[in-house]
Amino acid sequence: MPDLLTALRAVVGAEGVLARPEELFVYECDGLTLHTGSPRAVAFPRETHEVQGLVRACRAHGVSFVPRGAGTGLSGGALAADGGVVIECSRMDRVLSLDAENRIAVVQPGVINAALSKAALPHGLFYAPDPSSQLACTIGGNVAENSGGPHTLKYGATSNHVLALELVLPDGELVQLGSPTGWSAGLDLVGAVVGSEGTLGIATAVTVRLSPLPEGVETLLAIFPDVVSACRAVGAIIGAGLVPAALEIVDRRTIAAVEASVYAAGLPLDAGAVLLVELDGSAVALPGELARVRALAAAAGASRVEVARDADERARFWRARKGAFGAMGRLAPDLYVHDAVVPRTKLPDVIAGVCAIGDRHGLTLSNVFHAGDGNLHPNISFDRRDPDELRRVLAAGAEILALCVDAGGVITGEHGIGTEKRDFMGLLFGDDDLDAMRRLRAAFDPDGCCNPGKLLPTPRFCAESNPRARGYDRVPFE
Amino acid sequence: MSAQAAAFGALADVEGPDVELVRHAPLSIDGVEVGATLRPRDGEALARAIRSLAERGLAAVPIGGGRHLGLGNRPRRADALLCSSRLAEIEFEPAEGVCHAGAGVRLGALRARVARDGWELPLDAPDDATVGGAIAAAGIGPRTQGFGAPRDVVLGLEVVLGSGERTRCGGRVVKNVTGYDLPKLYTGSQGALGVIEGAWLRLRPRPACARVLELPERPRADAIARAVGASRLPSARACALQGEAGGALAGCVELAGAQASVDRDASWLAREHGAKEIGADAVDALRAAQHETPAPHGMRFRIPLLPTATLPTLAALGPEARVLVYPGLRLCYASFALASADDAAGAERAFASAAAAARASAGSTARASAGSFRCESAPPAAKRGRDVFGPAAAGEIALARALKVRFDPRGVLSPGRFTGDVG
Repeated sequence: MPDLLTALRAVVGAEGVLARPEELFVYECDGLTLHTGSPRAVAFPRETHEVQGLVRACRAHGVSFVPRGAGTGLSGGALAADGGVVIECSRMDRVLSLDAENRIAVVQPGVINAALSKAALPHGLFYAPDPSSQLACTIGGNVAENSGGPHTLKYGATSNHVLALELVLPDGELVQLGSPTGWSAGLDLVGAVVGSEGTLGIATAVTVRLSPLPEGVETLLAIFPDVVSACRAVGAIIGAGLVPAALEIVDRRTIAAVEASVYAAGLPLDAGAVLLVELDGSAVALPGELARVRALAAAAGASRVEVARDADERARFWRARKGAFGAMGRLAPDLYVHDAVVPRTKLPDVIAGVCAIGDRHGLTLSNVFHAGDGNLHPNISFDRRDPDELRRVLAAGAEILALCVDAGGVITGEHGIGTEKRDFMGLLFGDDDLDAMRRLRAAFDPDGCCNPGKLLPTPRFCAESNPRARGYDRVPFE
Repeated sequence: MSAQAAAFGALADVEGPDVELVRHAPLSIDGVEVGATLRPRDGEALARAIRSLAERGLAAVPIGGGRHLGLGNRPRRADALLCSSRLAEIEFEPAEGVCHAGAGVRLGALRARVARDGWELPLDAPDDATVGGAIAAAGIGPRTQGFGAPRDVVLGLEVVLGSGERTRCGGRVVKNVTGYDLPKLYTGSQGALGVIEGAWLRLRPRPACARVLELPERPRADAIARAVGASRLPSARACALQGEAGGALAGCVELAGAQASVDRDASWLAREHGAKEIGADAVDALRAAQHETPAPHGMRFRIPLLPTATLPTLAALGPEARVLVYPGLRLCYASFALASADDAAGAERAFASAAAAARASAGSTARASAGSFRCESAPPAAKRGRDVFGPAAAGEIALARALKVRFDPRGVLSPGRFTGDVG
């Protein structure tokens, strides 16, 4: 039998395989740079049969494999945890078909998220899930992580928009799951695969739903004296039965970082928090909804409400939100972007608790988050070269997750578990709950060769953590 | 003692202070008669009942309101029904827009409860269906267009696996990627992997305004074009076409949302299509029609279809099939009358028509997985020897089997009923 590299090159050619240490260096992590794992090779397929060939070559050599898109994930899902082969899908970047009349598209996994919306735009359509990394991240990666974004509140996450999948199973076989209508006669295997973090196979063609562009869009910024009153406004808007396309909060520390950066949006530096609200839909209904949001924001304590007058101003408002992570680069060499979700009514208390945790550990912690979904993103700016600061960052992160679970929440809303949080799964789930997940995984990948070391805790940690497990259902309502 | 009598006796061992055993007149599930129902009082009792059934080599069919019992293959074995009616607690926080309901809660009761605080339950199975049943069957109705499919409504589930463990998955928050999305796997799995104990559900704000309009009967192609357009209006929450596949079709559209949007879309429908306002009960009548099968003997199929493939799909069904098309849902239901319960030739023709329609339904985007359909109701004789879930791709069946043996290794739950588990 030829050696592994020879077998991989036989599938995708010499130019389709990287194996020198200096070439592999860039693939040792994804967007979560604290976790690393160097692959023994990276292979770049262009076609489905090449993915099958690569998987079979890995299996023949007893080597694990890891699917990878753009590597923008934030939970370590795309790193080779045990030195396997990375199957990099970025060259599978073709829109295979776009059926505007039926509002569906079939794409290869390496198509960039924003490129799909761009392709759909001339037809008056768009692809709704819009992660902050949408200019770089791929649809295949979005499928693996069930990616969300600011507009998840109204439009749902990736899972709500994937109708069918062509999947290379961990044994190299090809299956078609779902249908272009979104309905399947049997089990919802598409639903099980989306968000499985590349552990159940490699998606090689994704059929997605395209959405019609809304007739109208209104974007407003409400300035609040503090985060808690901004959170109360969010509760009032949701409680009033409004479903904005997005409800985002940026706190004071984030405002300071953004305004000092190239993303400056003219936000008042003395504001405690800014609430960004986007309404879209029927043009005749928008004025009434806008008036209601203005009134609710004012009643919750907003000192000022600005409505975007045109597309440029809307872009400026969003710059404050979408540029936040980039602006953090001014604060410290490293940034830990956390991700957790709590019931929306618990947001004011939890945000206060999160800030207190940061302060107690002497950390620079700022918040920018999808408030309408209760999806927090506490960002900790730090310098990993300082071992004590790194220790405090990790300790604070663990406390934040515990706080969110205590409030009835969950430990990730859109970044996934990956390697980052696998040992925190026991906070939320007991042995039997996790065992059910293992059974699902084993049905697809009985030998555990597809992206091993992700999503599920190691048995050792699971046994240790289980006595602390507390379910969301044990947390009473207010 | 016959095997049946032995099983009947063994059920008494499953009974206990926490699990009620009710003997009753036999109920036929596709020709398999079941004369006993187990009614556990809570989740722990449900788990004990399942473990106890497994120890005795017995099998049970989970049942909620009994609305979806016609769906599935003929069971290989069914010693009892496993009824969730005592799991009937509701926990609801209006400010959060989510609720938790026991599997036995009737949808009608939950609808009424959340409506008092301005919310709407976005599950569109009939009022007498239960939460557990509606989720297990992924039951839908005309308003599913506006509500989203049951898979998009379920946030978290408590499920007792076929192997007897009580488990939780998902959560109570509206956004969550913590671990595998098991709620989606269980939704629509018909209790083949586990029995639902309770569910966290996402609610929707009640619309400020709703109006129902009738689209006048038109020749087939014209009616389809108009209905597809109507289903895409910004405020369209439900849209259906009804009639014989070969004849003229009449439509019905429900608009819901902000008053200004609904009024504008209603005016457009009246002006462009001559639509006339009718009562809201027309949408409930559609939901009822969706569950009907021609009397006294008939078969009903569910066939997914792309909007552009509607006409060829109806043509493939044959002129006499009665159809209910939901263009916004990309689905149609087709019913066929049979001469008798044993009309083998009629059943064969109906299956062949459904298969032909399913092949036509995916248009030019056909991939291997396109062309699926399922038979949702048929006389027992018509099901014999067939997989009512249609021609699922081989790989999909292999995965379904692999899941079944891991979640229900002793075949306690509805053995033989689900796709890939045909006995």
